[in-house]
Parts: sequence; C-alpha cells; structure tokens
Amino acid sequence: MPLRCVVVTPERTQLDREAEYVSLPMFDGELGVMQGRAPMIGRLGYGTMKLQTAAGPEKYYIDGGFAHVEGDVVNVLTGKAIPADLLDSEESRQSLEQALELPAKSPEEAQLKATAVMRARGQVRASR
Amino acid sequence: MANARALDKRRKSIRNIRKITRTMELIATARYKKAMDRAHAVTAYTDRLSQIVSSLSAAGTEVDHPLLQPRENPKAVRVLVLSSNRGLCGGYNAGILRAAVPRIHDLKETIGNVSVDVSGKRGINGLKFRGIETAANYTQFEDQPAYDEVDKIASGFLEQYITGQFDRLDVVYTKFISTSRQEATIETLLPFGSLDEGGDSGVSESGDSSNTSQYEFLPTAESILEEVVPTSFKAKLFKCFLDAAVSEQVARMIAMKGATESAGDMINQLSMTYNRARQSQITGEIMEIIGGVEALKS
Repeated sequence: MPLRCVVVTPERTQLDREAEYVSLPMFDGELGVMQGRAPMIGRLGYGTMKLQTAAGPEKYYIDGGFAHVEGDVVNVLTGKAIPADLLDSEESRQSLEQALELPAKSPEEAQLKATAVMRARGQVRASR
Repeated sequence: MANARALDKRRKSIRNIRKITRTMELIATARYKKAMDRAHAVTAYTDRLSQIVSSLSAAGTEVDHPLLQPRENPKAVRVLVLSSNRGLCGGYNAGILRAAVPRIHDLKETIGNVSVDVSGKRGINGLKFRGIETAANYTQFEDQPAYDEVDKIASGFLEQYITGQFDRLDVVYTKFISTSRQEATIETLLPFGSLDEGGDSGVSESGDSSNTSQYEFLPTAESILEEVVPTSFKAKLFKCFLDAAVSEQVARMIAMKGATESAGDMINQLSMTYNRARQSQITGEIMEIIGGVEALKS
C-alpha cells in the first residue's frame, strides 16, 4: 500500500491522496518519506513539498507548520499550502525584496525579518 | 371606518417586506452551511495539533512555554470584541455588547490599562455610543473569515504579548453550541491556559498514542513545542472568528424567520380588516341607492 499524504490547513483539508514518495521541506532541509518510515514529528520550514504519485509529480509550497508521520500516513499541518504552479515568481521576488528592506534594529525585529526573508526565499524557490 | 384603499396599500408593502425577509433568511441559511463547513475543517486541524501535543507530553517533554505561564499582577489588558458588520440579526450584537461592556468596566477598575479591539461595524458603533474608546477596528471579516487575516492579527498579539505590551488577552465572542443555542462568552486566550483545550478530543487521545509508537522528533521535542504553542493559539483565535461567523448567520436566519412569520400574520389580520372595510363600504353604497330609490318613490 502506498503512502497517504494529508495536508490540512485551518481553512480546509487541502489535499488527501496517495503517493509513492513524499519530500517534505523541513526547517533545515528536505526530508524524503517512503513507505514504512518510522513514526516522526517534525517542524516544517518554508519550501516546496514534492509528491510522487501514480499520476505524476506534484509540487506544493508549504508555509511552515508540522509534519506527522505514522503508519504510512503523512499528516502535514500548515497555515498555507499553494500548488507551485499558482505561485507568481515575479510577486514572490517582490516580497523577498520587501522582506530584505525590513528594519532589524532590535532582536525581535531581527527575528521577524529573518522569518520574512526565509518565507519569501521559500516562495521564490517554489515558484521557479 | 378604516379606508379600504389605505389598508390595501399597507398590505402590499408588508408583502414586499416579507419577500425581502424571506430572501434574507434563505441567504443566511446558505451562508450558515458554508460557515459550518469551515468550522468543521478547523477542528480537523486542531485535532491533529492536539495529537502532536499529546505525543509530545507522552514523550516526557516538559510542557513549559512563556505563553503558558500565568503572569502575576497584570498591568495591561487587551480585549478583542467580535461582532458583525451588518444588522438585522436579532439579539446577536446586543448580546456581545452586553457581555463586553461590563467586563471592560470591570477590568478598567481592577487593572486600569485596558485597550479594546473590535471587529465589525456594529460593535464599533455600539462601543462608541457607550463611550468606550477602541484601539483597533477591523471590518474585513464577513461570513467567511480568512485565515491569513486572522493570522496577521494573531501574530501581532503574540508579538505584543511577548514584548510585554500587555499581559492578558480576553476575547468576547458568540460561542456556537448548537443551531438553537449560541452564547456570548468571554475567554482569556493569553496567557494560554492549557494546550489540551485546543482540540476537543485532545484528552481522550492522549491515552492511546502514548503506548502505540515512539516518535522521532525533528529537531527536538522542545523546539517543536516552541512552535506548537503559538500555532495552537492562532488556531484557537481563528476558531473564535469562525464561531462568531456561524453564530451570526444562525442569529440572522432565526431573526428573519420570525420576521417572515409575523409579516404573514400581519397580512392575514390586515386582509380581514380590509375585507370588512370593503364590505361595509359596499353596504353603505347599497343603502344609499336604496334610500335614493325610496325617496324618489314617495
């Protein structure tokens, strides 16, 4: 039995389908999940989730959150999941420029800026 | 005797109003169903989130986070009032204001520094009328609040809470209990009471997952917990917005149903008076004719 991949956002269940291979954008890099993986809970970063399904490859931009793998079911909890085709590369590049211009005078501001830059970079990468 | 023509005019205008209220009822019903579906979707999210939390605590992680700790002697309080943008929804907004205003006065007396945020035009105007100043007003939330918008507000709250600009966050909203029952409630979201409340089934599930599997935590359980707490706060705030939206549609549905029914009753009553008036007018005319004939005979 192949993997089942479920992507849940607070607004709706974005995706629920079977896949042979799922690549998750963890906070520190990609993590591939295949059938029979040990149970895992992990933090997601901003990046592209790739699915290898019977119908062909699929790509989604994931906006942080958590991944929960147990018994051949991959649960992805995220604020936003957008199919990579729908991302506009021009727009994401602009948001990266905006993020780079944010002030970073205090530690809190610096952290906010770092998050915004990471998010924008993830979008730019996913939109390519 | 009442004028038959005036009565007929009134009856017509009530019929028109009944058409409008019936349409509004139908629209509210459709919107209510949509809003309900969204509220169900968010429970799927919070259920999974509480599953993660329970497996974290099953792994022996110390559940400790700045957002979870109660703060001694709060100095500044933030109150968020969720009302609707439109009226004609029965006692919905009145109920919210009735709950919010005494709480705000209470907090002003005990703590002093209270700033009030309001969502919805009705709430903004209602608080203005009662002489309560508001810090931020939101009018963009309709029957389907977007997570993006709520996320922005929630992030703002978290940031201000962590930097110590306020020590407590109260949310006044209408809790959806069932189709026939919605209650205006006040909930303290920050400091975040306990994580298990995020999902309804969090407590019951914690028992099963502790003995089924040992999880691998990437990077560490602590780091995940650090991220889970703000996320569940956001989900909870989003749930408040959704509950408020569902309750608003239900309130409007019921109010408009009542209006349609009483318009029908009124039409019945007016029809009766109208028929009587018409009848007496005809009788009067016949009497006049007969009287005239009798006068000519003699």
